[in-house]
Amino acid sequence: MIDMDALRKEASRILAEKVVDVVLGFEDGSLPMRAQPVFIQKPAEAKKLILNGFCGNNLAALLKGRPKTEKIGVICRGCESRAMHALVVEQQIVRENLYLIGVPCQGILDWREISHAIGKEIIKASEDGQDVIITCADGQRKLARSEFLHSACRQCRQPNPLDVNVGIGEFPANPDPAALPSAAVEFSAQPAEKRYAFFEEETDRCIRCYACREACPMCYCAECFVDHITPRWCESMVSPGGTQAWHIIRAFHQTGRCVECGACERACPMEIKMEYITDKLNQDMRDMYGFEVGANDQDQPPFAAFSLDDRNRFLE
Amino acid sequence: MTYKTLPKNQFSKVIRKWMKAYDVAAPREEKNGLKYGIINDPEEAVLNHYENTTFPPKAFFLPQSERLFACRNGRYQMPEVADRPRLLLGVRPCDARAFWLLDHVFIAKGEEDIYWEKRREKSLVISFGCDAPCSTCFCTSVGGDPFDKQGSDVQITEMDGDYLFEAVSDKGARLIADMPDAPEAVEKKVRQLQKKSAANMPKQFESKGLRDHLYDIFEDDFWREISQSCLGCGVCTFLCPTCYCFDIVDEVQRSERVRNWDTCMFRVYSQEASGHNPRPTKTERTRQRVMHKFAYWVDAVKEFGCTGCGRCVVNCPVNIDIREIARAAQERKAAVEVGK
Repeated sequence: MIDMDALRKEASRILAEKVVDVVLGFEDGSLPMRAQPVFIQKPAEAKKLILNGFCGNNLAALLKGRPKTEKIGVICRGCESRAMHALVVEQQIVRENLYLIGVPCQGILDWREISHAIGKEIIKASEDGQDVIITCADGQRKLARSEFLHSACRQCRQPNPLDVNVGIGEFPANPDPAALPSAAVEFSAQPAEKRYAFFEEETDRCIRCYACREACPMCYCAECFVDHITPRWCESMVSPGGTQAWHIIRAFHQTGRCVECGACERACPMEIKMEYITDKLNQDMRDMYGFEVGANDQDQPPFAAFSLDDRNRFLE
Repeated sequence: MTYKTLPKNQFSKVIRKWMKAYDVAAPREEKNGLKYGIINDPEEAVLNHYENTTFPPKAFFLPQSERLFACRNGRYQMPEVADRPRLLLGVRPCDARAFWLLDHVFIAKGEEDIYWEKRREKSLVISFGCDAPCSTCFCTSVGGDPFDKQGSDVQITEMDGDYLFEAVSDKGARLIADMPDAPEAVEKKVRQLQKKSAANMPKQFESKGLRDHLYDIFEDDFWREISQSCLGCGVCTFLCPTCYCFDIVDEVQRSERVRNWDTCMFRVYSQEASGHNPRPTKTERTRQRVMHKFAYWVDAVKEFGCTGCGRCVVNCPVNIDIREIARAAQERKAAVEVGK
């Protein structure tokens, strides 16, 4: 599905022809089941680029802190393209300086789930169509790709990248949203005590390393509310007053902004589930405002938009 | 030092006895993998799991969040520190070594940290030698080995159907005094096994001269290059068994002064009140982390501030591998030399 040769060729071309200064993609990681984001500056280095189910980050998050004037080519899957459009809307990046290379996406694999299932040291891992081939010291095992997809990818409505400069590979149709599972719907169906118990159990493991924040393309505040000192918005400790507050406020700030890529969960070393909250908030935005995050470069998230003929004006 | 011996199936009886006098903490299987916890049953302790815990045991002595004191009606109150004596069982030698390294920081003469000191005094560390280290382990590259004794009171070696116990400290010797002595021939075999284990772990990078070479490339573009994909989260440092930085905060609404783990990877860590930040970008922050581990620690205590446990390698969300950084730094230094 992914034509790696064509992808590398395109990356090398846009660097050689100075369409961009740098290309952002993935290169092989130092461990099995990992990949590392890489900034390619020389056309010859484009051969380093890889793309597979173990490329777990959302590359749009890596644009934080880079000069806005830099012309950058980004290899993007559906969620990454949506994140970049959302960032253009929020004026964090300039569309004209981006060259989006769209690629088809089969979904990201959850390496931690695979590790737990295998239960011993994994020496090598590769993908073969719908299978994942895992090699251990005592032999090989074949796992079904679909069973180890990250939960965000299982419910992905838009795996195909949107509004890119060039698309590479074949793009199958996006899935029917009605047929997809939804963590938000499942969560909402539970009684309140169960919902709280789940939230409590998950956030209890939080070590406040903020990997979720840093891995998120949409968390770009120069100063995050948790780092704010006067006033202090939440407790500093790894107590419920600190960790639960972090997870709730973080989610609220993502309302109608989260691109549902799941990069936060994949970055979390404590394996905390958190996307179900933002999914629920996004579902509300869909139901109430018909808003889809990152669908284009113009539409403001409803909670960030202000219009003089707002029906519910509260400022008179 | 003589070894004590016990058939493996009799160890739980001993643990049960220890549980009467101590809170016994050990790695346990939890929903999301291995985690240290106080055990209620000897069977809960997982001693030779193929991987280490994600969360480091340093938290037993330096909790991630800790109340230093409270102020009630104008009086300071010290919190109680660790009521019952604690026994940490099944600690990997790299993590035990980290306790020893951190002792240099927290119980340096004249600068004793009473919280750390009290907990250390009241605890015993029983490490479990690694005869099957992970591919991400690199203790032999940073001055340790899979049967490192530093920081342990007792070390266990698993051999055939037995556990061999070696007392490292006097405290440890008293704990295992009642166990039967191992025959001399067995001792020899244990030492061979330990040697073989270390020999099976080739060095992952050249540590010789690393400190000097890092200073030499301090101003090099190297740091910008390696930090480009860093997200700036605290995974590497929070999970690190030797990172010990903390931030002191007044929780005014409760009239408490607390300390929380802090990390040089956060922007706010070095942010000054004036707004100036001497480490303004990921480049300086990444450099700080690496320099501290491999240069500043060496300056201060002549040891690397890294025990090669591999937690940062396994858990970095963007797969930044400190072993690769060390290798690349050595290469860069060599390249700079050639360029001169």
